[in-house]
Amino acid sequence: MSGEGRGAAGTAAAAVVGVALVAAAAAILVIAARGAPAPTTLQERVRAVAVGLRCPVCQDLSVADSPAPLAQAMRAKIATELQAGTPPSAIRQQFVHAYGSWILMAPPRHGLSLVVWILPLALALAGCALAVVAISRWTRDRPGAARPEAAPAENLPGRPDAPDELSSSDRRLLERAVAASGAWEDPE
Amino acid sequence: MSDASSEATARHPTRLGGRSAAAVWIPVGIVVLIVALLAALFAFGLGRNPTVVQPVDLGKMAPGFQLARLDGTGTVSLGSMRGQVVVLNFWASWCADCIVENKALQAVFDRYRDQGVQFVGVSFEDQSGTARGFAKQMGMHWPLASDPGTTTAIDYGVTGVPETFVISPDGHIVAKTIGPVTYPELSEQIANAIPGGA
Repeated sequence: MSGEGRGAAGTAAAAVVGVALVAAAAAILVIAARGAPAPTTLQERVRAVAVGLRCPVCQDLSVADSPAPLAQAMRAKIATELQAGTPPSAIRQQFVHAYGSWILMAPPRHGLSLVVWILPLALALAGCALAVVAISRWTRDRPGAARPEAAPAENLPGRPDAPDELSSSDRRLLERAVAASGAWEDPE
Repeated sequence: MSDASSEATARHPTRLGGRSAAAVWIPVGIVVLIVALLAALFAFGLGRNPTVVQPVDLGKMAPGFQLARLDGTGTVSLGSMRGQVVVLNFWASWCADCIVENKALQAVFDRYRDQGVQFVGVSFEDQSGTARGFAKQMGMHWPLASDPGTTTAIDYGVTGVPETFVISPDGHIVAKTIGPVTYPELSEQIANAIPGGA
């Protein structure tokens, strides 16, 4: 296969990988955006609010999952507020008002906490870009692939059977090395 | 590697395998920068004590309440004490630190009871009978109330007992102590809350 042919194949492979990565990311985003089905019963509505609140007397447990008396009291308060018609966002805000944003299981989307939300996405995008570039280079620079810019083998002084896959910079290095060591000693 | 190629590489230290030094070091520099930023963020997080929760209610209006007294003689409400400094103490009979702080609380109560400072004790996750017995044993002579459903404690952002709030005459939370109070600390908080000092 010619150098141009291999280059085109590498570009095509990188494009396929890029499209696959974008498709996978889009699928994940669609699933994440769809989220869980909307709660219907009071118990489900209480859980939907409680799962986003941290149990103040537990280690890394939400109010929904904790058996602690304080968490039970919080669930009861959430139920009372929901029955009174208070929107879930307003209930969450009541807890934030009393305990601070620390009470939220997910960090708020502002200030320093914003880094936690942006960084994984940025790293994922950077990783995808890196993968596309790396795959493109690997397929293009595979050993045996001819380089369009490589000089013809017969141009190398005293060594007509030299491999032709050297880059122009490597070829210059080789030429200097040959010149420094004198004439080639022909094995024959 | 032959002598010739070694020499050639030594003569061109800025090239690695035919790639320019910039092509190698720029990505390495970017990775090092990202890792350094993440490490700095991690170190910043490690430097903070996750068990310390900053009081968020200082300076805010104290949530109102009307609670039944433990002795069954009516109710106690924050609204009825407007215009006076209020010391609101959350406690429980099962709480060891509540025993520890009782002596200081008693002493501060004795010092300020005649200066218009109101003390209210709210039992936290306790049974009324047990709480009454504990209060009698400890000699808690200020108004004591039960908190059904722990709703008042949740409104104040209480995470455990004892916790003590000082509320100014205009109804703002001006001090909060998590854990047992001490005489000098609580005295100073009350003195600062009294208009003109005391």
